Amino acid sequence: MKKILYNDMQFSVEPSGDRWDITYTLPNNATAVVAAGLFAGLPESEAGARALALIKTIFPVGIKSVGPDVLHPNTIGDLKIVGPDVTHPNFIYWDKDSVSCPKAL
Amino acid sequence: MEIKGSVALVTGGGNGIGEAVVKYLSSRGAKVAVVDMVQKNIDRVVAEVKAAGGEAVGIQANVTSEADTARYIKGTIEAFGQLNIAVSCAGIIRDGTMLSLDKETGKVSKKLDFAKWQAVIDTNLSGTFLTMRDAAEAMVNGGWEGLLVPISSVNKVGQVGQINYSSAKVADALMPKIIVGEFLMRGIRKIRCVAIAPGYTATPMLTGMNQDALKAILEDVHLGRLVAPEEIASLIGYIVENQALNATTIEITGGLCYPKGIAK
Ligand SMILES: NC(=O)c1ccc[n+]([C@@H]2O[C@H](COP(=O)([O-])OP(=O)(O)OC[C@H]3O[C@@H](n4cnc5c(N)ncnc54)[C@H](O)[C@@H]3O)[C@@H](O)[C@H]2O)c1
Repeated sequence: MKKILYNDMQFSVEPSGDRWDITYTLPNNATAVVAAGLFAGLPESEAGARALALIKTIFPVGIKSVGPDVLHPNTIGDLKIVGPDVTHPNFIYWDKDSVSCPKAL
Repeated sequence: MEIKGSVALVTGGGNGIGEAVVKYLSSRGAKVAVVDMVQKNIDRVVAEVKAAGGEAVGIQANVTSEADTARYIKGTIEAFGQLNIAVSCAGIIRDGTMLSLDKETGKVSKKLDFAKWQAVIDTNLSGTFLTMRDAAEAMVNGGWEGLLVPISSVNKVGQVGQINYSSAKVADALMPKIIVGEFLMRGIRKIRCVAIAPGYTATPMLTGMNQDALKAILEDVHLGRLVAPEEIASLIGYIVENQALNATTIEITGGLCYPKGIAK
């Protein structure tokens, strides 16, 4: 299993047969799914690199999801998602590291 | 176009019709991006796709946001290398008549909240537009064969109590004519657009409703039951594989009629 700390979020890339699953830890320590069954046949190093590229795209620096309270029975009306900060220089196109994301990644 | 080996993106893929579309396409060999606002539903659907041997990426996003749309289109391509099918199932209802009257005075006691109008137009119309626009952009720039599927509703004919919903859904139903016409004008030949207009469908939203109201609805359905989400999913699968279906909106209602038997 490969752990990736990116933009203060903890991701795991785990093998599942010859494929890879990606999950991340929510602020309440619950686990959420990013992807399942990807990168068939790739070794851990390559799968890890592909996973990091995918994570950077899905969670660009500057994005902020507040909530949702996923346990609330009334899921739609009570959801609050604060949109991404589209003016952030790292939004969508990753060409500069954030303070919390070291260059080594 | 073959489903097997294609890449599909389904907004609202965490529940109801969208979930059925995700599972149908995945079970036939498509790689699928599940886009939804609710992470716990994404988790469940992606886990079920995985358990069935499929490949899926889940992207929590709000379809009404232009930036989110760019993010989930790019994320899908990052995960699977291409995009071929975009189905816009994310949708909401916020029903109410435009005016309500006070029974005693006969004067207006309440107006439909503008927020209720706006939320439905934003999600069901602007959200669908953004997904269709950006998916088409990616397909053209990637040189991939594609299919765009806006989800309309049989209530596009104009349902009382749903001025917001019906207005959005009639516009969604028009999209295939306009989009394909523009594609022809611009020489874009590899991408089709076909909308679906479901009738009353057995999603959690409907099956959980007042059972008497549900019974009353079913009296006007020739089929005598709600449409199953899987039936809509298999129709979409058929459209993927039948290239002649294009620039049109297909109703799938089980034969929904107005009271006294006039087909809606
Ligand atoms: N169920 C029916 O009888 C019926 C009939 C005709 C048309 N439709 C249409 O089919 C589509 C799916 O309906 P359903 O019954 O499956 O609904 P549903 O409520 O079961 O699922 C809709 C999904 O969309 C998601 N969603 C809502 N707003 C979103 C947003 N802004 N961004 C991202 N995701 C969002 C929700 O989280 C949910 O998972 C809708 O467009 C609906 O209008 C449904």
